[in-house]
Amino acid sequence: MKHLVPEFEKLRERFPAGFESSLALPCLRRIQEDRGYVADSDIEELAVFLGVPQIQIEEVLSFYTQFRRKPIGRWHLQFCHNVSCSMNGAENVLAHVERRLGIKPGQTTPDGRYTLSTVECLGSCGTAPMMMVNDGYHENLTLAKLDELLQGLK
Amino acid sequence: MPGRQLIMTFPVTATSHALPEYRARGGYGALAKALGQMKPQDVVKEITASGLQGRGGAAFAVGRKWQVVQYDDGQPHYLIANADEGEPGTFKDRWILENNPHMLLESMLIASYALNVRNCFVYIRGEFDLPYRRLAEAVEEAYAAGLFGRNILGSDFSCDIVVYRGAGAYVAGEASGLISSLEGKKGYPRNRPPRLTVKGLYQRPTVVNNVESLSNIAWIINHGADAFKAVGTPKSPGTRLFSVSGHINRPGVYEVELGYPWMKFLDEDCGGIPHGRGIKCVVPGGVSSKVLTGADIANLKISHEELWDAGSTLGSGGMIVIAEGTCMVALLQVLMRFYHHESCGQCTPCRHGTGWLHRILDRIVAGDGRADDIERLYYISKFNDGTTICGLGDAAGYACSGILDKFRDEFEYCIEHKRSKFGGNLECLRSS
Amino acid sequence: MPEIFINGQAIEARDDQTVMEVAREHGHFIPYFCWHPQLSVVGNCRMCLVEVEGRGLDIACNMPVAKGMQVFTNSEEVQAHRKAILQFITLNHPVDCGICDKAGECVLQDYHYEYSGQRSLSHDEKVRSTKFYNLSNRILLDNERCILCLRCTRFTHEVSKSMALGVERRGDVSNIRPVEDRPLSEDPYSDNIIDICPVGALLSRQFLHKSRVWFLQPTPSVCPGCARGCTVQIWHRKPEWKLKALDQRQNENIARVTPLDNPAVNGPWICNKGRDLAQMFERVRADEPMLKGRPVTVPAALDEARRLIGAARHPVALVSNWGSNEELETFKDKLGEVFHCFVKQDWQRQPGERIEDDLLIRGDKNPNTTRARELFGHAEPDFKDGTDLVLVWGEGFDFARLPPRAGIIFLNSYLQPENGHADVFLPVSIQTERHGHYTNFEGTISAFEPCFEKKPGVLHAEDLIKALAAPARGHP
Ligand SMILES: Cc1cc2nc3c(=O)[nH]c(=O)nc-3n(C[C@H](O)[C@H](O)[C@H](O)COP(=O)(O)O)c2cc1C
Ligand code: SF4
Ligand code: SF4
Ligand code: SF4
Ligand code: FES
Ligand code: FES
Repeated sequence: MKHLVPEFEKLRERFPAGFESSLALPCLRRIQEDRGYVADSDIEELAVFLGVPQIQIEEVLSFYTQFRRKPIGRWHLQFCHNVSCSMNGAENVLAHVERRLGIKPGQTTPDGRYTLSTVECLGSCGTAPMMMVNDGYHENLTLAKLDELLQGLK
Repeated sequence: MPGRQLIMTFPVTATSHALPEYRARGGYGALAKALGQMKPQDVVKEITASGLQGRGGAAFAVGRKWQVVQYDDGQPHYLIANADEGEPGTFKDRWILENNPHMLLESMLIASYALNVRNCFVYIRGEFDLPYRRLAEAVEEAYAAGLFGRNILGSDFSCDIVVYRGAGAYVAGEASGLISSLEGKKGYPRNRPPRLTVKGLYQRPTVVNNVESLSNIAWIINHGADAFKAVGTPKSPGTRLFSVSGHINRPGVYEVELGYPWMKFLDEDCGGIPHGRGIKCVVPGGVSSKVLTGADIANLKISHEELWDAGSTLGSGGMIVIAEGTCMVALLQVLMRFYHHESCGQCTPCRHGTGWLHRILDRIVAGDGRADDIERLYYISKFNDGTTICGLGDAAGYACSGILDKFRDEFEYCIEHKRSKFGGNLECLRSS
Repeated sequence: MPEIFINGQAIEARDDQTVMEVAREHGHFIPYFCWHPQLSVVGNCRMCLVEVEGRGLDIACNMPVAKGMQVFTNSEEVQAHRKAILQFITLNHPVDCGICDKAGECVLQDYHYEYSGQRSLSHDEKVRSTKFYNLSNRILLDNERCILCLRCTRFTHEVSKSMALGVERRGDVSNIRPVEDRPLSEDPYSDNIIDICPVGALLSRQFLHKSRVWFLQPTPSVCPGCARGCTVQIWHRKPEWKLKALDQRQNENIARVTPLDNPAVNGPWICNKGRDLAQMFERVRADEPMLKGRPVTVPAALDEARRLIGAARHPVALVSNWGSNEELETFKDKLGEVFHCFVKQDWQRQPGERIEDDLLIRGDKNPNTTRARELFGHAEPDFKDGTDLVLVWGEGFDFARLPPRAGIIFLNSYLQPENGHADVFLPVSIQTERHGHYTNFEGTISAFEPCFEKKPGVLHAEDLIKALAAPARGHP
């Protein structure tokens, strides 16, 4: 985490004084972006840097779905399976990807390329079905579109 | 388009979200007017007079919330735009963030001026990528143009803004859960009292408003409360953005003048239901609002009062259209899985009740339903109503009892025959 | 002073009170799990729902009083909701009371009998979680029994400030967890969470499956671990449940120690040292008088002691700051003129022990320095003017520091090598065998009561002092 401290200091300037604790989420997001996950050492260092109890950082990491404590595949495919997506064929597209990759949600392909997850509504219901690949949204999915997309994810 | 528009007033292009075009549309004129010609109290008065209701779910009058904040009580005040947009079926705030972010920013500046706020925040859900980038860009543009920072437009009003990204928790969209999250903690909602307008972010008076609620402010200041009230109905002034999804030919975000006939909207504006199927029901305002059948809405107008009379609400404006032939048991299962997954786990009834609902639905869908399951679903829903810290527990109950009230026979069928009356079907695809 | 009505009774409440507080003060019991008088309000268990006229149900623990409000703590609605809350709480609770140490003093058990009595309405599997999670070297956590009242987490954040506990994950898979790699062991107040846990989710490893609580009775006592003198309850086997077979030592042993709520001294808390009094009191005891290491009868030992006292020209006494007020006063009264008296520090801080903090723990690791010094002054022990006899009362004094040729009379409770080096050794009773009072560092006096019988060869110090002051037999 240490090399990110200058960035964190900049971030701090945007917040009013006394908001150190608030930096927990943005700093953790940044650490995860940098390392791919949040390591144990990051937790201790961040707690010290922000002057917050370490347990607060641990709680935050386990409360929010986007944080992870372990590395995952290079491409994280997250399929929405909430109502509107389900009503527009989410089950089909998910089943298709499961077949193609040979994994179930929660698993990573042995070559470490793909991790598959299901998630709740991501606010793309009008362009359902949808999935997130890493940070990007892919909407109005069809089987053909999916195949093409997977081709591009090396 | 259904009626008059206040927000979606321009054709979306590759550059229509940027500052120059916003200015060309008259943008930041309302800010200049407020700073130049109005006292902060006048702004609060104008918003109160406009009758603007919250667009985040509860339709609470924006002006009434603002009035609680004492302008000169010697403490810092905070303003937060709620851009968590987690209610399934809702994606309208995203439209504003992507396509008209300056309208939100200008409105937040005016609100900050009115409420004596030095630091304001936008709490945006962590998964939003393009909306975040568009908003962050707009913030930079605004700072560069001197619209944030010190002595804005040469006045003695100063204001800073932070765009704060969540990390995946529906409950962090609840105003007090949001505040916990913005304090860098897990998103546990808090008991009222104290109200957030008395003790909110870091125990200071804090106003939390939905993105769309706030975005109306600039328009109201520009055109006046009376002009705003001239749009919509007497009890539902203005317009609302509806996120239309589900079994519908033209899903998307629509700005609807309140009082517009519902079926006309669905049939004409949204292109009707694929394959000419009939409407089984609609979720009117996000999954936490009770469903209404096709018959219920046949003659309804889209307004708060008509929805309340019909036993539901416009909620977050997430309208999900459900065609004939859809299995409501499977649909309720999806919803209960959602609430179970999203309960923060503080309150006894919600922590255990949401999981209980989910397990019973799983069992019914699997063909293992029991005769007393329906009664039990009602029991759990009932005892989550009004007994929890935040509205999530209640909402799970409303969603459940709402569907049971209207489609009990499907559940009975499924329990008795150990299979769905509609083959567990949820899909009705648009032919593309 | 708003007037409010609880179940129809008009009550003058203070502005800053909650309905929970007012109701308790006036004898209207509202059941609660998460509320605790010493902790912040989280209002999450929802057990304290009450009905307010015109407003419906809300929780009493977070409800400020308002003029004229009509509160009903037992309406039909309230009763129905309490029953439902208990259904939800027991939905995933294992109800394994048969093997739970809390059984018999568990709030959930009590409320179930009082407010529900209903069997579970669920037909589905319970959510499983960790049983016997190692929270520290002293405490086990059963996550299945936990009802997430967050008393334990709030205790570590608000009272002991170790910030050691939190909640991991969310919803019905939320788990109480300690900070990773830094367990609760470093928190010297940790065991209080066992007491405040309303259910059997937090278990003392010392006490684990040692006894059903209904076989035990508490005796009020005072922790001698430091000058705070926390009031405690020492739990031991009830006489009617004395074991006749199995390990009979259990009849004479301390089963556990819990705080005795006392706003004047320690509130509802004690430190872990207070929990471990057994380690102090159950060391091997001395139970026979000796003359130069040779066992003798009590009268023989007393005779010799009196003879030494009578013969001494410059006798010095090292008075124990573990003596009770009564014993110290008797010593002053009977022997204060005979001996030149100094107060002796029986106990010093042990390695690794917390020295002092602003919650309870005091730097002086003895219970009655205050009264001892009031009676015998502050001077350090000093043997310069030809001391020819030293009476050492209590442990902790290095005999090498005594004047080489002086006679020694030693009063001690435990089997220690020094006992045999004294000219006269007299075994005395310990705190759990007698009545008495200690005066703490602030001057507050607290009482302790006997839990166990002393052995016949052992004397109460007070009797012993009187006997020593009596005229020596066989002397004119
Ligand atoms: C579980 C839950 C989730 C919520 N999520 C959101 C949300 O994502 N966005 C939002 O604006 N309001 C949400 N709300 C409503 C907020 O609590 C709050 O009422 C709203 O932001 C206030 O803004 P308004 O008065 O302008 O509508 C949620 C409420 C609950 C109970
Ligand atoms: S109702 Fe549910 S989500 Fe809301 S605070 Fe309670 S447990 Fe958390
Ligand atoms: S372990 Fe006990 S005190 Fe802690 S939250 Fe669970 S039930 Fe409450
Ligand atoms: S603080 Fe002192 S008196 Fe209190 S329990 Fe601990 S050692 Fe005993
Ligand atoms: S239901 Fe899938 S994005 Fe909303
Ligand atoms: S005691 Fe009031 S909610 Fe727990």
